[in-house]
Amino acid sequence: MAIDAKWKKLAQSLTKYERDVLPLLSEGKFVPIAELAKVTGLSELQVQRAVQWLENKSLAVHKELPFEVVSLEANGKRYQKESLPERRMLEVLDEKGIPLAKLAQKAGISSEEVNAALGLLRGRGAVALVKEKELRVKITERGVELRKAKFAEEVFFGKQDFPCKVQDVRPEYRKVVEDLRRRKNILRVERAVERSVALAPGAGDILQFVDADTIDAVSPQLLSSGGWKGKEFRRYDVSSGVPKVFGGKVQPYRAFLDSVRQKFVGLGFEEMTGPLVEQDFWNMDALYMPQFHSARDIHDAYYVREPKEAPLDPRLVRRVKDVHESGKGANSRGWGYVFDVKRTHRLLLRTQGTACSSRKLASPDLRIPGKYFGISRVFRHDVIDATHLPDFNQVEGIVVEEGLTFRHLIGLLRMFAKEFAGAEEVRLVPGYFPFTEPSVELYAKHPQLGWIELGGAGMFRPEVVMPLLGRAVPVCAWGLGIDRLGMFKLGFKDIRNLFSHDLQFLRDAKVV
Amino acid sequence: MPSISFVFDDLCRLVGKKLSEAELVSLLDKAKAELDSKLSAEITVKYNDTNQPYLWSVEGLARHMRASLGKEKGAARIALEKSSLQLSVDRSVESVRPFIACFVAKGPALSEYVLGQLIQMQEKLADNFGRKREKVAIGLFPAGKVSWPLAYRAVEPKSVAFVPLGMVKQLTLRETLERHPKGKEFGHLLADAKKYPVVFDAKGHVVTFPPVVNSEESGKLSAGDSEIACEVTGTDESAVNLVSSIFAFALADRGFKIHPVKIRYAKRIVQTPKVEPYDFRFDTAQVGALLGLELSEGQLRDLLGRAQYDYQGKGRVKCPAYRGDLMHAVDVVEDVAIMYGYESISPLPLTSFTVGGLRAGEGVISAVRDLWRGFGYQEVFSPVLSNKQLLYDKMQADDMGTVEVENVMSSTYSCIRSWIVPILMDVLSKNRHVEYPQRLMEEGLVARREKDNVWDARQVAAVSAHAQASFTEMRQHVEGVMRSLGLECSFKEMDEGCTKSSFIPGRAAFVFVKDACIGFVGEIHPAVLEKFGLQVPVVACELGLDSLLQ
Repeated sequence: MAIDAKWKKLAQSLTKYERDVLPLLSEGKFVPIAELAKVTGLSELQVQRAVQWLENKSLAVHKELPFEVVSLEANGKRYQKESLPERRMLEVLDEKGIPLAKLAQKAGISSEEVNAALGLLRGRGAVALVKEKELRVKITERGVELRKAKFAEEVFFGKQDFPCKVQDVRPEYRKVVEDLRRRKNILRVERAVERSVALAPGAGDILQFVDADTIDAVSPQLLSSGGWKGKEFRRYDVSSGVPKVFGGKVQPYRAFLDSVRQKFVGLGFEEMTGPLVEQDFWNMDALYMPQFHSARDIHDAYYVREPKEAPLDPRLVRRVKDVHESGKGANSRGWGYVFDVKRTHRLLLRTQGTACSSRKLASPDLRIPGKYFGISRVFRHDVIDATHLPDFNQVEGIVVEEGLTFRHLIGLLRMFAKEFAGAEEVRLVPGYFPFTEPSVELYAKHPQLGWIELGGAGMFRPEVVMPLLGRAVPVCAWGLGIDRLGMFKLGFKDIRNLFSHDLQFLRDAKVV
Repeated sequence: MPSISFVFDDLCRLVGKKLSEAELVSLLDKAKAELDSKLSAEITVKYNDTNQPYLWSVEGLARHMRASLGKEKGAARIALEKSSLQLSVDRSVESVRPFIACFVAKGPALSEYVLGQLIQMQEKLADNFGRKREKVAIGLFPAGKVSWPLAYRAVEPKSVAFVPLGMVKQLTLRETLERHPKGKEFGHLLADAKKYPVVFDAKGHVVTFPPVVNSEESGKLSAGDSEIACEVTGTDESAVNLVSSIFAFALADRGFKIHPVKIRYAKRIVQTPKVEPYDFRFDTAQVGALLGLELSEGQLRDLLGRAQYDYQGKGRVKCPAYRGDLMHAVDVVEDVAIMYGYESISPLPLTSFTVGGLRAGEGVISAVRDLWRGFGYQEVFSPVLSNKQLLYDKMQADDMGTVEVENVMSSTYSCIRSWIVPILMDVLSKNRHVEYPQRLMEEGLVARREKDNVWDARQVAAVSAHAQASFTEMRQHVEGVMRSLGLECSFKEMDEGCTKSSFIPGRAAFVFVKDACIGFVGEIHPAVLEKFGLQVPVVACELGLDSLLQ
């Protein structure tokens, strides 16, 4: 019973082709594929596939027998359709004979064919070659006799379909085949193998369960007609492989950035944005970076070709100019140089996300207390390699609140290290940024990678806050190397993978 | 970032303590510096603060460490020697290089190592702080080889000749700029000058030709010399004086006696180097307000002392003469925090409640991304720098107003992308071996320019590449996305515009929402496909999102 159940289940998993072929098989008797095709009405290819599947299920075995195939070549096809050259020659000859030189033209055959036909007809005693003034070909009496009947070759051509197996050629024509093979471009005989199939030993028990009515596909027609009732459905091999398909997927680095943004929102931060094309003013001057600062070198920032400048609020420019030159308005000594007002209007591609912070600080919609973050595309004049791109992302932010101190900033940084790098242990090292004092660099001990530089932070200098905000409110400012965090998170060694254009890579990328 | 190299034992000797690696790292942290080499006999140290040139010598660094360790607290001082040395400044230099500082250091014979350290310091200060000698240039020469007093004046370029350092023949000043390696390197600093600045000795010999090169005969400092003159010239008097102070303190730390020089300007006389600490206002309440630390007077005095300040009480400090970087009281507060130790500062949590939120329009942007992905499009994220060859030439499109970079570094990255479809086409062309259908989308920023206006625009683009790709398919997807945003759109044949030739005529359309054109959709022209090496039909669309965000 258990064995029958196994056979039944197997029988139900057969496809239509298999169900067509299997009942025709028996143990030990090998049936050629072509014959199975003829009986089932399937194509040979379909039968072959069915046999392959049956073999995979150990229900069939096959063997391959060598044989020779006869097929017609170019001349053969022509002679079969029209007539043989020896027939044409014999038809035009008479007892007077024809000069050999004119024979080809008269018979409508090539000189090559004349030679072949002449040799053959002389061999049969049907023509004679006579030397008079010239060489002449005459028909003999035997030739006249032969002309009345069909040649063996003609009979063969008339009865045989090509290509055919040598073993299928009637014995009386075997010699004809041999003769024609020796002639030019008439017959080709090739070796081939023929696949024959038999039922696998011991598989006969399945035949009782093969049900021609098994349903392959569930179709709307089948459902509406109720034709499925009382019938079996074909079982699938649910464990076999299927072709891959690729859905529309989120880009892995964008997914990471989205998760970072969600996290900031969860921590009470509001997202801020700013333009890709910035001005020296917002990007640097408002951040109290002196105009002679080395990071402002033409070799570090991309400047815009045209237009070169864009307008600014002159009162704001005045305040920033004053603070650079003399510290006026911020109780500072200033940088002590002549501020170039034209230059502050200069357009460049944003070099740091802090530009968004300087804009936010000067914005009328700034909330105090307020917490802000922004993920910004920034540009640096860098040579591209595994760790540098000319265009990458930074996450920067500020916290603006009365009573805020450096201790709050340190608390914030420790929280970031934990939230974004899973790091409990951090190192806080004195740092330098022109716009913050005190300044600090944050290193975090990553669970897998050891100490990594996570970012920089500090309290905005009064020289930044006073001109932009107009009053002294403490501002914590910070920036995190988000591209590097993304690489860690996604397991990339090369920063270029963050912006990969390798479709296979994107299709195969994990999204969690 | 400046970096200096020196012998580690020399640093320890100057600090007065054999430092362990952990101590070294911790002391370097306090100087905003880091070890840039392995700890070995000779080490390299890199500075992150470009504003503290007094640390850019082993002597200055060691002094900072002595104070940090509490071995030598307070503002450093030098007892200057009595000196009658003078240098007169002629008014002719006012339009070229108006300021000069000078002093003589007398002490032990210079070893090769110390000489090397002086030259390293000279280079780092002139390069990084002196802006490649433009703002400040430094000359060192043996004080005994010249006749005092010295004179600083500007002369006609061809009127004076001397043998520049490392040469054998006399050259005029003009020839020096043309032929001497330093002349070629720094000659541009005098490009606009009609007269060139020169320091002459009392006999009228050229000592140095600032900011270019010293004289071979009287301006060449060698190991074994024990009387060193240091001359600093520049365009900013406080920077000039600062650099001369930094040198004076470094040499004093090496056991040299410092002999000042009286600089006689046309209308005033100043003595250099400046070595007396100066007063700086500092409100002690700011320590609490900025750092959140409550320090006793004693603690504050100790920390300020370790940061090389003299605490005067009542919000006053004296700063060493070589500190030129102090602009605001917060600078002093930071020094207090550094000496307190960042690691020792206990964190405080933020307490006020603020409502978090994503940028305006995020709802639409993330819906658009979701919808395209829902139609089976793989999201792509690309650099926004691009080039016009890709954006226009390969696309057969006209320039739609491009923000181009002036100082191009690589022709691949010479402008900001003005549309995204070409980027996606590029992705298709790089992935011809990957299974089709290929459907890609990217949402992001582009930049545009019209005359003097430059702006960012937020756009989404999509391409579909496969054997049956058609206008109908992409239009279905565009309509599907827009319908889900609650927007009906209409389509008008594209028979004009920058992108007309990118598409097959009659198979491209502008997409309208109400009366506003927000983008386009179309079958990419085979001539364009050919340029990208694509042998599969591609249909593309690009939609502006900014008008949908409101």
